[in-house]
Amino acid sequence: MAPSDETDEEVRADGTGIVPPDDETPTWGERKTRSQGLSRLTYEYFERSRREDQDMRMESSYVERDVLGFPTWPHEMIRNLAITSFFVGMMIFLSATLPPHIGPPANPSQTPAVILPDWYLYWSFGLLKLGPLNPDLAILGGSKLMADRTYGVLANVVIVGFIAIVPFLNKGSARRPVEQPFWAAVGVFGVVFSFTIAALSVKNLIPMDPNLLFDLTFLVPPVAGFIAYAVLRTMREGYMFELNRRYYRLRPPK
Amino acid sequence: MSLERKDDHDHGGWMKSRDLSPVEKGYLTVLIWLDRRLRIVDYLELMEDLYYKANLQMPKSHTEQYNLDNKFWYWYPLYALGSFSTLAYVVAAISGALLGFYYSPSTAAAGAEGELTVAYASITFIMTELNFGYLLRSLHRWSAQVMVAAVFLHMLRVYFTGAYKEPRELNWILGIVLISLTMVFGYTGYLLPWDQLAFWAGQIGVEMSLSIPLAGEWVAQLIFGGFSLSQSTLQRMYILHVFFLPFITTALIAIHIGIVWMQGIAEPH
Ligand code: HEM
Repeated sequence: MAPSDETDEEVRADGTGIVPPDDETPTWGERKTRSQGLSRLTYEYFERSRREDQDMRMESSYVERDVLGFPTWPHEMIRNLAITSFFVGMMIFLSATLPPHIGPPANPSQTPAVILPDWYLYWSFGLLKLGPLNPDLAILGGSKLMADRTYGVLANVVIVGFIAIVPFLNKGSARRPVEQPFWAAVGVFGVVFSFTIAALSVKNLIPMDPNLLFDLTFLVPPVAGFIAYAVLRTMREGYMFELNRRYYRLRPPK
Repeated sequence: MSLERKDDHDHGGWMKSRDLSPVEKGYLTVLIWLDRRLRIVDYLELMEDLYYKANLQMPKSHTEQYNLDNKFWYWYPLYALGSFSTLAYVVAAISGALLGFYYSPSTAAAGAEGELTVAYASITFIMTELNFGYLLRSLHRWSAQVMVAAVFLHMLRVYFTGAYKEPRELNWILGIVLISLTMVFGYTGYLLPWDQLAFWAGQIGVEMSLSIPLAGEWVAQLIFGGFSLSQSTLQRMYILHVFFLPFITTALIAIHIGIVWMQGIAEPH
C-alpha cells in the first residue's frame, strides 16, 4: 500500500481488508503479466486452457465429442454398494468352511521336495525357469552372458515393463474387445501365457514330459491368441453393421 | 471491555429463531463450533467445487445420447471388481490388525524343547486355542487371496475394455504399482508363520535378490537382513507387512480411486 493511501483511510484493527474482495482477485492474465519464469509459464498455460474450455463450450458440437466417461457417482457406486454385503458374506463363508492349515515348522536343514510360493506368484516363479532360453555366446566358449537366475529376474522386469507401456502403444478411446480384435488377441495371449508359465513353474507336479511342457508353454498362447483374433474379427462384422445401422437411423448423415 | 469475541452474525439467535429438532440443533452446534475453529466451510466449498467440476464436464454417454438399445452390456458387472478389491483389502486390514494382537515375529525358541519358534507357536495358538482364532486367520488369508484374484481380474477388465487409454494412462501405471504391492503384501505375509513353506519361499526370495546385477547384495541385506534367513529376515518381513505396505498401499488406492472419481468410468460404447 502506498503511503498516501494510509492517510485517508482509517486504520482498521479488526483484520478486515487484508484479503482483496472477490472482484479484485487478479485474473490469470493479470497474474501472468506480474510474474516471470516458470510461474509465468504456468499462468500462460492456465489462461490458454481456460480459453480452450470456453471455446469448447461455445461450440455446438461440445456434447457430441468423444465420450470420456460416465460419473462414478451414482452410476458405479450404487451397484457396488448394493453388492458389498454379499461379497463380505462370501468371504466370511469361505473362511468359515475352509480354514487354512499349518504346515510343519521351519527347518533349515531339510529342504522340502516341493518349494512353492502362493499361487499368484507362480507366473513369476515360472519366468525364473527360462534357463534353456538364455542365449549363450560362442565367443565366450559357450558360457552364458548372464546367470540363469539373473535372466529370470530380467524376464520379470521385461514383462511388467511391457504391460506398463501398453497405454502408449495402443491409443484412441475405450473400445470393446470386438471392436479391436488385435489388442484383445494380445490380451488372450497374455492370459493364456500366464497360465502356461505357471504350469511350467510347478512342472514336478504335472504328469507330463517336462520338455513337452516347456514347448507347449510357448506354443499354446499364440495359438489361443490367433483363435481369439479370428473369432473376434468374424463377430466384428455383424456388430459394427448393427451399431452403424442404429446410429444412422437416429442421425441420418447430412 | 470484554475480550470475548462477539457473535457478529448472531448464529445463536438464528438457531433459536428456527424450530429445530434436537438432532438438527446438536448437529448445527457441532458444525458451528468446528467451523469457527477450523474454517470447515472453505474446505467443503472446495470439495463441492471439485465435485461439480468433475461431474458437469461429463457429456452424455454415447448410448444415452443416441438412445441405443445396447445400454446394458453383459460385461458391466465386471466393473465391480475394482471395488471388490478395495473391499477385500479393508477386510484383510481389519482381520490383520486383530491377528497382530496375538502374533509375535520372533524366531526365538518357544518352550524348553527348542524345537518351535515363537512365531510358529503363536500361529498354533491362534489356530487351536484362541476363541475364533482360526476364523480370524482364515478370514485374513481368504480376503488376501480374494483381493489378489480380484485385482488380477480387475486389471483384465481394464485391459479388455481399453479403459487404460488417454486420459487414464497414469491410473494404469499406478495400477501396476498397486498389483505389485499387493503381491509383495502376499509374499511378506506368506513368510510370517515361519513354517517350512515360508522358510523356503524366503530362501528363494533371498536368492532372487542376490541375482540382481550390481545391487543384489545390497538389496538382500536391505530387504532380508542378510544372505541367509534369520531373526532379522522375519522382523523385516513383519515390519514391511504391517507398517510400510499398509501405509503406501492405502494411500495409493485412495489416489487411484480419486483419479477414477475425477475422470469418470471409461465407457466403451
Ligand atoms: C489394489 C488394487 C486396486 C484397487 C483397489 C483398484 C480400485 C479401482 C476402482 C474401485 C476402480 C473404479 C472402476 C472399477 O471398479 O472397475 C478402478 C479403476 C481403474 N483401475 Fe484399478 N484398482 C486396483 C488395481 C489396478 C490395476 C492392477 C490396474 C491396471 C494395471 C488398474 C487400473 C485401473 C484403471 C485404468 C481404472 C479406470 C478404469 C475406467 O475408468 O474404466 N487398477 N480401480
